[in-house]
Amino acid sequence: MSPIPKTAPFADEEIDLLNRVVGTATPVQRAWLAGFLAGIDASSGGALSVQPAAPTRPAEPLTIVYASESGNSEKLAGDIAKAARKNGLKPSVIDMADLELSALSSAKKLVFIAATWGEGDPPARAVRAYNELMGEAAPRLDGVEFGVLALGDTAYVEFCAIGKKIDERLAALGGKRVIDRVDCDLDFSEPAARWIDDAVKALTPPNAGGRVIEVDFGGKPVAAANNDIIEAEITEHVDLNSSRSDKETIHLALSFENGAPAYEPGDSLDLYPENDPAYVDELLRIAGLAGDEKLRSDFIKSRDVTTLSLKTVETYAEKTGHQYVKALIADGQAREWIAGRQLIDLIATFPIALDPEKLRSLTRPLAPRAYSIASSRREVGDEAHLLVSAVRYESHGRARKGVASNYVAEHLTKGGHVRVKLKPNRHFALPATDRDIIMVGPGTGVAPFRAFVQERRATQASGRSWLFFGDRTFTHDFLYQLDWQEALKDGALTRMDVAFSRDTPEKIYVQHKLWDRRAELIEWLDGGAYFYVCGDAKAMAKDVRTMLVRAYGDVKALSADAAEQAVVTLEREKRYLQDTY
Amino acid sequence: MPDELSRNERIKEASQYLRGTLEQGLRDEITGAIVEDDAQLVKFHGMYLQDDRDLRPERTRKKMEKAFAFMIRVRIPGGVLTPQQWLMLDKLARDYGNGTMRLTTRQTVQLHGVIKSNLKATLKAIDTVLLNSIAACGDINRNVMCNVLPEQSHAHAAAIALARSISDHLLPHTAAYREIWLDGVRIAGGEEEATEPIYGKTYLPRKFKIVVAVPPSNDVDVFAHDLGYIAITDETGKIAGWNVTVGGGMGMTHGEPETYPRVAEVMGFCRTEDVVKVSEAVVTVQRDWGDRKNRKHARLKYTIEDRGLSAFRAEVEKRAGIQLSPAKPYTFTSTGDRYGWTEGVDGSGHLTLFVQNGRVRDVPGAQQQSALRKIAEMHDYDFRITPNQNLVISNVPTHLQAEVERLAREAGLLAPWSGLRRNSMACVALPTCGLALAESERYLPTLLDALDEKLALHGLSADNIVIRMTGCPNGCARPYLAEIGLVGKGPGRYNLYLGAAFDGTRMNKLYAEDLDHAGIVAALEPLFAEYAKARQKDERFGDYLIRAGHVAKSENGAQFHANTGKQKAA
Ligand code: SRM
Ligand SMILES: Cc1cc2nc3c(=O)[nH]c(=O)nc-3n(C[C@H](O)[C@H](O)[C@H](O)COP(=O)(O)OP(=O)(O)OC[C@H]3O[C@@H](n4cnc5c(N)ncnc54)[C@H](O)[C@@H]3O)c2cc1C
Ligand SMILES: Cc1cc2nc3c(=O)[nH]c(=O)nc-3n(C[C@H](O)[C@H](O)[C@H](O)COP(=O)(O)O)c2cc1C
Ligand code: SF4
Repeated sequence: MSPIPKTAPFADEEIDLLNRVVGTATPVQRAWLAGFLAGIDASSGGALSVQPAAPTRPAEPLTIVYASESGNSEKLAGDIAKAARKNGLKPSVIDMADLELSALSSAKKLVFIAATWGEGDPPARAVRAYNELMGEAAPRLDGVEFGVLALGDTAYVEFCAIGKKIDERLAALGGKRVIDRVDCDLDFSEPAARWIDDAVKALTPPNAGGRVIEVDFGGKPVAAANNDIIEAEITEHVDLNSSRSDKETIHLALSFENGAPAYEPGDSLDLYPENDPAYVDELLRIAGLAGDEKLRSDFIKSRDVTTLSLKTVETYAEKTGHQYVKALIADGQAREWIAGRQLIDLIATFPIALDPEKLRSLTRPLAPRAYSIASSRREVGDEAHLLVSAVRYESHGRARKGVASNYVAEHLTKGGHVRVKLKPNRHFALPATDRDIIMVGPGTGVAPFRAFVQERRATQASGRSWLFFGDRTFTHDFLYQLDWQEALKDGALTRMDVAFSRDTPEKIYVQHKLWDRRAELIEWLDGGAYFYVCGDAKAMAKDVRTMLVRAYGDVKALSADAAEQAVVTLEREKRYLQDTY
Repeated sequence: MPDELSRNERIKEASQYLRGTLEQGLRDEITGAIVEDDAQLVKFHGMYLQDDRDLRPERTRKKMEKAFAFMIRVRIPGGVLTPQQWLMLDKLARDYGNGTMRLTTRQTVQLHGVIKSNLKATLKAIDTVLLNSIAACGDINRNVMCNVLPEQSHAHAAAIALARSISDHLLPHTAAYREIWLDGVRIAGGEEEATEPIYGKTYLPRKFKIVVAVPPSNDVDVFAHDLGYIAITDETGKIAGWNVTVGGGMGMTHGEPETYPRVAEVMGFCRTEDVVKVSEAVVTVQRDWGDRKNRKHARLKYTIEDRGLSAFRAEVEKRAGIQLSPAKPYTFTSTGDRYGWTEGVDGSGHLTLFVQNGRVRDVPGAQQQSALRKIAEMHDYDFRITPNQNLVISNVPTHLQAEVERLAREAGLLAPWSGLRRNSMACVALPTCGLALAESERYLPTLLDALDEKLALHGLSADNIVIRMTGCPNGCARPYLAEIGLVGKGPGRYNLYLGAAFDGTRMNKLYAEDLDHAGIVAALEPLFAEYAKARQKDERFGDYLIRAGHVAKSENGAQFHANTGKQKAA
């Protein structure tokens, strides 16, 4: 039974919570609660923070849409909802994946929080709604009050592109911008918090502000470890590629003194890296600041000293007044110039006297890197496994090393420690144990699927599972080969197909294996199987999707459009799930 | 002595003529291996399941199975290839193999490191140049070897023709190879009974090897094989017929004196038209008389030791329906190759190249594989692989000879100066051979450097001395027929055998055991020194050591293990 009417001056989820408490309460409990709540108004103080009585007029609705891949925007959407509620608004939060545009036109007040992915693309699951919003058929939004918060990374040329585009589009559709957009870099917490304050103020009608009882019914309780940075001990550190491979992929087993964070298969860990001391020394030497120990350790431990963004170049120009750099910007060549370059190149190419402050002002806080968890707590207990591929490449005559992956590969060792933080991803979770799953994970993309398979073994899942893995060579790059063999033997994995691109003159990738197996593949999907893709976002994820569309077309003799629709349907039903990077 | 049939006999029996479960095994992409029984059967198709032993220590830690891959041994009667065939094998080595080609002591080419998923593609490509690997290994007649004697093309033509007709006649009939590797359709039913008129369901008790020799060259080491034919020429130089040799073999096992290498005996003489009949008879007698219980006692050499040569000859004559005449006289001068140019009858030239231990590859400073590719692309001559792991470019027209030689010289393919190196062979051993106890191919060159230094001190650098090394006692480089034989005992340890005949008619004797690098050099140097001083005119190193009493002269059979060791202080 649900005693609390939908009209009650509470947010929907609060009504649910109340119903959960009150609905199941015994008469005695209810009597107590009644008296208790009555008491609150009378007494000052009391157990809960108390404020003047609730307004009689129903709260105004606020529609909050988020476009998120790795959960940051999603979290902020929750924050603003909370703040809005405090201010007497009635927020409803919508994942852009589920957005029906009609919901926009009917909205009075609208907030978008949007991340940018790929090379200026929307987060994978937001693509459909995003295209509709940008398309002809988008509804007018005359008079709708809106504000946009953009999340991004200045390291990318298309910085916050999606937030920007949505902001323009809403205005173009007649919306009324009541708060200016803010573009957040990786260290988004403070700017985002400030924007949320301002936004809520701007969106709150006069005299509705702060006149509700704020009872924090707190969402689902989680172990402290889950949202804190915790230190883990490294119990295994091994390069899974053979010594003949030109790749290095580290299997990292972490153990946690006070229990592992409550992670689920599909979640990731944010790993807090340090910079390569050799790189920092080189940077300081070139900047003429060698020997500044304070700056050195600050740089190694907590600053992003590799990323070179337009922003950095502009700061450099203005702080140093370097003529050539100014010219570079003036001629509009900076964008092109930074490609494949790092901060060190800027200072090496355009040397000028720098003091520690100037140099520091060119850097931003060192951001953590996410790594999919490759284990299930049901199998490994208080451990978490990561699979980290060392990023190494050469550009503009300099050998480059990815910060976090090489911190893992070259700096961390068995017995050492590393700081991590749980990064949940409920959009990449296992279905009911009786459902079939198809997993496509070449390279490190296979990491979460090791967790999936372990979980399915532990839960004795009855659903079938099918893994597509690929890498360079069978002999030297077959990650976790023995684990897969075992899983196939004990049934935790039903079948597996592999594609190794360098074993044959013509390159073979996972999508080609999908094509070879298209008949059975479509059969599984028709039977309700879930389709997971993890790994490289730039090429693989796109190629896999294209191939699946082709597979539908071929197997079911569908037109290109109909085949595309078949896959769109999978996506809408949330049976086509991606975790790509 | 076990009294029931050996495991391999049951595997053959149950295999439906060498099919086993190979097809299923190939479909499993998650392991690079095949099941054990199939690993035995796949040998009959010319392949061995191996793993890279260099990588063994790290694999489990890296959560990977052993680095499995297959070795493919092509069947090349007499070792003669067309340039097109050579080019294809070269390409396959680079596309699917470990990048190198390996010329073997039995005149074939081996590709190493072919992973399971690439086997079919490789064998199909081999098939397109009319080659295959059928029966290149396994309990069956292997590649038939034939003397490489470019300077006498007529006799060679007769010998190679003979080798090919024997080879063809003794090929297995089962369609398994075509079905499994070339996607041939399986001829439904019926054919079972028809299959294998010569071999039957269980083929031979053990591997079987045939060679054809043409004196004075004994490059094929005729006495090392189960069955051999020695060409007997009449005064006009035409082939009059063939002496038949039986019961040779090299393999033995350390510490098991009932196993031993053995030189073949001459059983008699037959005419060319009877050779195939005789061959079939020898094969079927061994099929029926050979030991199928104990694989270490299953080769023809033991059948003959046990039954006696005359009983064996009688049975062969019965089955062949002919009488062998008494053996004719013949003389061999050496087992080595004639390096450099030799003049063919028609004025074209033959260039014999030195390929160290048969490994054809490109290394900095010696782009041998590329050079041979260029040469192969230039003209339609023969490529002949010698029984000493070397290569002959045969019938090079006069106008191309300078260019061919230039390419060979640049790649370091012309024979070295050192008489020891010119007469050296080493088996493959590590990292691919599963039976290796010690390094061989990868170590011999280093040892030769050290020995060459010593030989130089005594003015012996240019003297031809035969040295052969193997990584275990199986004898793949025929070490017991070398004046200096080194047989792997354990990592970095070798047994030293001395005193074989230069012409391959007499085996050597165990001289010292468990020597490391320094020990080998120390043991040989004083003998070199003494040989340099005390040898008689044209006296060979092996013969000298026996005359001087350093080692006992070796006799045949189990006697091989008698009176071993230093016979006097060097
Ligand atoms: C490639 C080659 C040595 C070389 O450096 O060229 C070779 C290589 C191997 N031999 Fe051999 N044998 C090779 C000529 C020989 C010879 C020499 C000959 O036949 O003139 C012998 C001694 C003669 C004889 O057969 O007695 C020889 C006697 C053996 C034996 C012992 C056989 C016996 O009955 O005693 C084995 C082990 C076995 O068969 O159990 C063996 C087994 C092997 C295997 C396949 C190891 C195995 O069984 O797993 C080796 C593969 C190593 C690799 O990685 O390539 N190989 N093997 C020769 C290939 C010949 C060919 O093209 O067919
Ligand atoms: C949700 C999620 C899960 C992830 N899971 C995993 C995982 O399980 N395993 C894993 O290994 N990684 C995973 N990643 C990627 C990981 O987070 C890091 O991005 C990756 O390890 C690189 O970080 P880094 O600090 O080593 O490199 P950085 O220092 O961040 O450098 C990377 C940058 O270098 C540049 N760059 C890289 N290669 C080249 C090149 N060839 N040419 C020119 N420029 C280049 C690009 O600008 C790139 O952005 C995941 C990412 C996300 C978002
Ligand atoms: C693979 C990858 C690609 C990205 N591409 C861009 C980009 O093109 N432009 C940008 O501004 N930010 C880019 N980012 C940064 C993200 O937008 C940023 O991490 C944001 O906080 C993610 O928010 P979310 O967790 O809500 O998805 C990228 C991040 C990753 C991991
Ligand atoms: S002699 Fe022994 S080590 Fe050498 S290849 Fe033959 S089997 Fe292997």
